[in-house]
Amino acid sequence: MKELNFENPTTIKFQINGRAVQVEVNPKMSLLDVLRNKLGLTGTKRGCNRGDCGACTVIMNGKTVLSCLVPAIQANGKKIETVEGLAKGEKLHPLQEAFIECGAIQCGFCTPGMLLSAKALLDKNSNPTREEVIKAISGNLCRCTGYKKIIDAVMLASQKIAGGGKNGRDRKKNTAD
Amino acid sequence: MDAIGKRIPRIDAIQKAMGKAIYADDLNFGEMLYGKVLRSSMPHARIKHIDTTKAQKLKGVRAILLAKDIPGENRIGILGDPFRDQPVLAEDKVRFVGEPIALIAAESEEIAEKATKLIKVDYEELPAVFDPLEAMKADAPKLHKESNLVSSTKISKGNVQQGFENSDIIVEAEYRTPMNEHAYLEPEAGIAKMEGDEMIVMICTQAPSRCREEVATVLGLPHSKVRIIQTTMGGGFGGKHYNLLACQLALLALKTGKTVKMTLTREESISTTIKRHPCVAKYKWGCSKEGKILAAQIEIILNAGAYADHGPAVLTRAAVHAAGPYEIPNLKVDAHLVYTNTPPGGAMRGFGVPSVAFAHECHMEKLAERLGMDPIELRLKNAFDVGSKTHTGQILTKVALKKTLEQAKKIAEEWRKNGEKKESIKTGVGIATTWYGIGSTAPVPNPSGAVVEILYDGSVILRTNCAEVGQGSDTVLAQIVAEEIGVSCDRVRVHSKDSAAGPWCRNTCASAQTYIVGEAARLAARSAKEILLKQAGKILGVERNDLQIKNGIIHSKKDLKKKITIQDAAKECKKAGIVILGCSTYNPPLKGLNPIDGQGDPYAAYSYITQVAEVEVDTETGKVKPKKFASIADIGKVINPTLAEGQMDGGVSMGLGHALMEEVIINNGTVVTPTLSQYLIPTSTDMPEEMITTFLDDYEPTGPFGAKGLGELANVAVVPAVIAAIHDATKIWIEELPATSEKIYKLLQKKQPSRNEP
Repeated sequence: MKELNFENPTTIKFQINGRAVQVEVNPKMSLLDVLRNKLGLTGTKRGCNRGDCGACTVIMNGKTVLSCLVPAIQANGKKIETVEGLAKGEKLHPLQEAFIECGAIQCGFCTPGMLLSAKALLDKNSNPTREEVIKAISGNLCRCTGYKKIIDAVMLASQKIAGGGKNGRDRKKNTAD
Repeated sequence: MDAIGKRIPRIDAIQKAMGKAIYADDLNFGEMLYGKVLRSSMPHARIKHIDTTKAQKLKGVRAILLAKDIPGENRIGILGDPFRDQPVLAEDKVRFVGEPIALIAAESEEIAEKATKLIKVDYEELPAVFDPLEAMKADAPKLHKESNLVSSTKISKGNVQQGFENSDIIVEAEYRTPMNEHAYLEPEAGIAKMEGDEMIVMICTQAPSRCREEVATVLGLPHSKVRIIQTTMGGGFGGKHYNLLACQLALLALKTGKTVKMTLTREESISTTIKRHPCVAKYKWGCSKEGKILAAQIEIILNAGAYADHGPAVLTRAAVHAAGPYEIPNLKVDAHLVYTNTPPGGAMRGFGVPSVAFAHECHMEKLAERLGMDPIELRLKNAFDVGSKTHTGQILTKVALKKTLEQAKKIAEEWRKNGEKKESIKTGVGIATTWYGIGSTAPVPNPSGAVVEILYDGSVILRTNCAEVGQGSDTVLAQIVAEEIGVSCDRVRVHSKDSAAGPWCRNTCASAQTYIVGEAARLAARSAKEILLKQAGKILGVERNDLQIKNGIIHSKKDLKKKITIQDAAKECKKAGIVILGCSTYNPPLKGLNPIDGQGDPYAAYSYITQVAEVEVDTETGKVKPKKFASIADIGKVINPTLAEGQMDGGVSMGLGHALMEEVIINNGTVVTPTLSQYLIPTSTDMPEEMITTFLDDYEPTGPFGAKGLGELANVAVVPAVIAAIHDATKIWIEELPATSEKIYKLLQKKQPSRNEP
């Protein structure tokens, strides 16, 4: 077996938000280091660097991972989604719209990780129960919101996605007066 | 009203939702140096010698700074003199584990970190003291001078002895609350650089104006040569008043001439920055058999940690609020703040009030139990009302406290009716009520400036230095300015982040940005509007008093045809050579407490709240599950209901953490809970299934459009409501927080043989 080399850089290739990238990494680097420091994608946050807080949550091949705990080399060949990839140009993802409408964002530091945890849920289960939402975001700490409006927002987003704008279901639960 | 009371989305929401908001650690200026701090490993020691030779030789190290290298004063302290007692870098001795001794700037974080390990500090260990009660003893080790007492607050009225003699029931207890951590998701970070002769510090701070002063004093520069740019804040909750990091960054940038970045690790953030003061509170209250409280004697000891920081102000606020929102004729409060060899206590949401509210509300419950009276009835009998005199002799003019209690009573009764009955799992409902003074406690003033400019296209800029910490002040200020001028919110731009743009503003603390900065902004907007109206009046040939602005159009009230858009009026001002500028400052009139008896008017307004908790207690494990929570608050007119509800939800969540799980544990001076897997805060699964918030919308005449404040009020009564609910379920009293499963389990075991006690 080849001995692990902790000094020499290695080149890895992966897809980030649908775009192919090639990055030189050293084996000590985490995926979070690569995203923030090499690719300039600072939307993904570092809250603890040890997998406690969930602020660095991204989606890797359809599953949420804590990017601070993922060695960068493990991203080789994978598809990574971050907060920067949610909107299509200026068109926000229904989750982003719902977070804004419901007041689910306060300081915003947990928001990118929350959005990705919620997206991973909705990608698999477009019509979750409140309990399923609570479970899906239970690894993402938030100190500002008490989670209530975040849960409301994920539920609203699921309605928006289900409605797809066709039957107008999304308008029903609009919290704005 | 067009902008006030509306659920307008936060003005920064889109940027945050897209991951585009730039927080301090997101800043990158290419070639930068990275800062690290060498910290004390001793809780109390004399520094005999510091050897930096090896570290200096490490490749990539660009500067190492010790106390002697500081060009200005090596002192900080948010309250200023005489409580400015903390060195930026330790001089002859260290007073807590984690205290900064040396600063390193290097070409990478790794090199800077390595350098900290190469610096050798020779310590002479001194005896240390960690318990404030021990520290008050004459023979205790001294941290600073001849006494460990930082400050005291005394409040007294009537004759307490007499009051107890007249009482039918007397209840005594001691309540303890631990050190708490803010646990904002964003660890402290910043960047400093010299540009010409100006020091620029970009940092997550909730005290930008005070931060500028502290950095300038440490660098030996005039305040005008320091510019603070507040970055998007990942939460503050009081903790980002600590200006140490800003000073450290500025020192390294000044020394190296380079851009220097520093981000604290989560471990540094938890174990070395300011915390909530641990509190020991002794309560003795007496009441008549009819339920009238006749006397209250209260002793409060706050653990200051190694430096004063906000401590003396926290102590005063705790003392003023200690007896709760109740009329008590005979009262004596003695509060003391004491140095120990632990990390400094500072501002944290509630500023001492969560500790005393826990005590006064548990005490009310105990009195009610002894009287055999409904605890809400007891509160209603004693609660402040319009015309009541507070414990400091202030006469209250607007109080909707009783309404909050009455609504809470209905909710509690409903929940009790529907409570499920299970074998080993007991359900309980508890309530708690409290009050909160808005703004800094007099004599600390609240100076806040705002500048409003109506531009020549009719759009508006507000300039201030009011720190948006995530609570939504930028949005609320935009709503206030929009309402005052009569334009839509999206026409108002708020520049609140740059000290080069906005005037001096009070720190974001004391639940006061809406009430105080909001009023400054409203007055500034009014001045600007008056200039516009004067010009419009000239053009329309109409008296000023006959003009009003509605939906961006200035028109005569008598003749609606006489009208001009704000844009056109603004253009007319330009033609006439007029800058449409309004400036204002606001500092509500207060009367500082008399040092002898603590009498005075420490706040211009108070907010009130009653909260109801329903919990399930598993009597086999001691585990508590909050099931329902309701908050009924009098915060004046609500400017933005969505943001206000968000404050309440977050305050409840933090309060549940304090009640059930949160404690910074210190062992021989070392924080042994430095991570978020050791210092636990609530997750989504810890929250009640049902959370209700009601605002009474009671107009406060001294606030902008009737508003008061909320941020801390949301948090202060949560703990006693939960503790009362646990008592309701199990009959045990938790007198020392947090109410962990272990603690409850042990108390239940003790309780077992005498379960049928009344």
